[in-house]
Amino acid sequence: MESIFAFLFKYRPFVFEKGHFALSAPWSMIGIVAFGVVVLGALSFSYTRVRGKSRWQDRVILGSIRAAALAVILFCLFRPKLMLSTVVPQRNFLGILIDDSQSMQIADQDGARSAFVARTLGSPDSALFKALAERFQLRFFRFSSTADRVADATQVRYTGRESRLGHSLEAARTELAGLPVSGLVVVSDGADNSGVGLTESLLALKGAGVPVFTVGLGRERFEKDIEISRVDAPRSVLLGTSLVVDLLVRQNGYRGSKITVFVEDAGRIVGSREVELPPDGQAAPVRVHFTVTEAGPRVFRFRIAPQAGELVTPNNQQDALILVNDRRDRVLYFEGEPRWEVKFIRRAVDADKNLQVVVLQRTAQDKFLRLSVDSANELIGGFPKTREELFRYRGLILGSVEAGFFTPDQLRMIADFVSQRGGGLLALGGRRSFSEGGYTGTSVADVLPVALGPRAGSDSMPFFAEMKVEPTPAGLSSPITQIGPTEEASAQRWKTLPELSTFNPIGTVKPGATTLLTGSGRDLRSRQAVLAYQRYGRGKSAAFTVQDSWLWQMHASIPLEDQTHETLWRQLLRWIVSDVPFEVTVTASRDRVSPGDPVTLTAEVDDDRYFRINNAVVTAQVVAPTGEKQTIPLDWTVSRDGEYRGTFTPKAEGLYAITVSGNQGSRALPPATAYVQATPLSTEYFDAEMHAPLLKRIAEETGGRFYTPATVSTLPEDVSYTQSGAAVVEEKDLWDMPILFLLLVGLVSAEWGYRRKRGLA
Amino acid sequence: MTAWGRRRGWAAVRAIAALGLIVIATAQGRGYGRQREELCPGPIKIPYDGKWAFARVAFEPSSEAEYHDLKWNHDCPRAEMHFAKILKELTLLNPYMEGGAVFTLDDPDLFKYPFAYVSEPGYWTMTPQEVANARAYLLKGGFLVFDDFREYHWENFEEQLHRVLPDAKLVPLDVHNPVYQDAFFRMKSIDFQPPYGDWMPVYYGVYENNDPTRRLMVIANYNNDIGEYWEWSDTDYAPIELNNEAYKLGVNYVMYALTH
Repeated sequence: MESIFAFLFKYRPFVFEKGHFALSAPWSMIGIVAFGVVVLGALSFSYTRVRGKSRWQDRVILGSIRAAALAVILFCLFRPKLMLSTVVPQRNFLGILIDDSQSMQIADQDGARSAFVARTLGSPDSALFKALAERFQLRFFRFSSTADRVADATQVRYTGRESRLGHSLEAARTELAGLPVSGLVVVSDGADNSGVGLTESLLALKGAGVPVFTVGLGRERFEKDIEISRVDAPRSVLLGTSLVVDLLVRQNGYRGSKITVFVEDAGRIVGSREVELPPDGQAAPVRVHFTVTEAGPRVFRFRIAPQAGELVTPNNQQDALILVNDRRDRVLYFEGEPRWEVKFIRRAVDADKNLQVVVLQRTAQDKFLRLSVDSANELIGGFPKTREELFRYRGLILGSVEAGFFTPDQLRMIADFVSQRGGGLLALGGRRSFSEGGYTGTSVADVLPVALGPRAGSDSMPFFAEMKVEPTPAGLSSPITQIGPTEEASAQRWKTLPELSTFNPIGTVKPGATTLLTGSGRDLRSRQAVLAYQRYGRGKSAAFTVQDSWLWQMHASIPLEDQTHETLWRQLLRWIVSDVPFEVTVTASRDRVSPGDPVTLTAEVDDDRYFRINNAVVTAQVVAPTGEKQTIPLDWTVSRDGEYRGTFTPKAEGLYAITVSGNQGSRALPPATAYVQATPLSTEYFDAEMHAPLLKRIAEETGGRFYTPATVSTLPEDVSYTQSGAAVVEEKDLWDMPILFLLLVGLVSAEWGYRRKRGLA
Repeated sequence: MTAWGRRRGWAAVRAIAALGLIVIATAQGRGYGRQREELCPGPIKIPYDGKWAFARVAFEPSSEAEYHDLKWNHDCPRAEMHFAKILKELTLLNPYMEGGAVFTLDDPDLFKYPFAYVSEPGYWTMTPQEVANARAYLLKGGFLVFDDFREYHWENFEEQLHRVLPDAKLVPLDVHNPVYQDAFFRMKSIDFQPPYGDWMPVYYGVYENNDPTRRLMVIANYNNDIGEYWEWSDTDYAPIELNNEAYKLGVNYVMYALTH
């Protein structure tokens, strides 16, 4: 298309884009216009006077054609020109940035991407190199995480483990600062895995008047490739958790094939999932289940075996660092009336060494039974009355206990338990629960994932309905409600479970809540939520609206060895306490980095009532894999209460243990631990296809142009039409454009043809 | 002399025993049997509505049982009706108030009531299906209370229980056991006089996996009959203190079963 344009208009579109149109007639412009008017008038007069066979329509058409031909001639007489700013040869510098990252080794065009560089910019004999060298002083850079000057393109090694385009462009511009720079040429596949936006870098280049010309290497879509493009794994879990991790698998060329995703823990396969691959170019979400059985920081590998003909294989696997905690998380279960749920929930989690359900059972008015308490004084006064006492627990189960039992402060405290402390709240169905327990309009109602309305039934005639419970699509794939080894087995198991009952007709769930289980029965107007949850503030809340989940253990149809009830409750309670923060928490900006990459540590610090504190002295002790210790002070960020930040850079490969500790006055804060793994990352092989949109954006926003190997031959000329550096104005005649000659010939031919047709010749 | 004292006197007289008195006593028993047979003739189904209900286990009595005496229905239904009233009054439990349910051990509906009561296990027999169900009931989380048996009844009780749980160890329980201390009432003594006879009650339990750190799933009131106290607690049959002790045992058993 561009060549046709250049044939007709003499120059390529880019030249027109860069130039300014001007007329430079050697004669008086007024004279030319007057001449044209006279000729046009004479023409019109002669056509209006002609008689004979012609009709008036013929005379209009022929007159118009003749006038158009005259206009073309007049345009040429004006001597149109294109005014272009052109560099002075050898007076300007051109920075050439060559992508030094590993992805340049991918052989998805004529050989490896790097081979193109070697053939063109790496060879002084190549036409491109010569054309550039004739016009500019060339300065070569190799870039991955940053840009480094090199003597020539042969010194690029293609071993970089990440590409930071914006940072590299700025580094090159800084290096060439003070020199007359015509522009920068970026030769790359366009992958940028810095995670930082380019906007600032591009604005700086635009402001400095440095156009960037980008040369995109590689295919925009691989013919055959499978990639695990994302792994969503929790950063920490309890030992023994049945974990569900979401992956995103992309593929080209293997549509409909069945592949297996394996999960490995230190080389041992701990889980797998067979997947049917989606259509080409699409991503398929894949959910894998496995149980974490080893404590400590564990690197789990998610892997797909390389397939026949696959172009890139390093992107078939991804690792995730998960801290597996072997601690016992405590959940307070307050039950307002004696009922079977207490016994069977306790039994369900009894074998779980990482969960402790502390029970406060109200057996009679003002009479409580305490079970699984740690000390003689624990809960001695009944339900906690202070934040310190309640917030010691990581989860709270509210059984069948009426809202009127609590003081307004206690209700507020329960809401704060979720929103401020970040705890997990689970409300169970019962005679004294939800609307029937008088919670409508209370602070706790705000927290719950279900909407509470007026009470159903009465004390003497309570609402009661039996219902069949079924998982929603979200429930089928949720780690909470998966009660079989696979999703299919779980779905089958749900179908066979006996009916349960409820005292609480739940109308709707709140917007933003997720429903995992629903129930339907003849005494219910419509299907109602049985298990729903939502995030609320810093924590989460769930509603389990049945009152006899124990039947899933005790019912005659449930085999003795069946573990459904145990599994469900363990998963539910583990989920309730998962991600619940401690007084001090620490997170690393990235838990897997390449050695040498800085890591930012962020600590959130609360007191024992979970109020943010800004006056603490907080430090992080970093223990390198070599045993070397480093103390990093963490400073309050000021922008957020209780947030402290510091940075360290892992040098050696291996696992870095970070322990954050501190003091608030004389009070020592409980320590928090995190881990960072320093390892050579193969991020370059992910999303490694050529990113033409990004390269085009860089070119467009800076006034440059995007090329492929097929179009790069025009690069030297295009760069020379820059206003940067030392430049002169060049005039290019347009009167001799072939399009004008063809237009003239066409108009004359049209007139002749029309006359022939009408018999006027 | 109180009514209780007079009954104890009669028991002494029976111990000295004239044949005629024994016949009278037997005749009286058969009379009660006929009354029970009318009120609790066999399994009683109640609609499941989420409430706690007293479940009584019915069984085919052994051949040693007297004619017309089903054994399992002793004190039924007055005992459970009175006991439900006590539970309702003292605790926040929401019990079924119209008596109780009666199930055979092979009835699947029994599993909706994880607390069950067996009277006169000295005459307890089971079909193989009942044995299997009883085992599943206990191991899933059910709780069985055996009451109203004494002396030689033990052999049959133990034999039948071992058909259900072959490895079960019947462990004597004392007053310091959590079931008597923590569940609801903190009991000072469990050595109170049974409603009849001169035997001293002994309480036995079976722990899950025979592990004393785990829950009790069986309790046997050997040489005692707390159902008898419950049944006649609205009369002057026994001193109120003894009725109270019997109720305390029952309430503690229920609360323990509900929480352990």
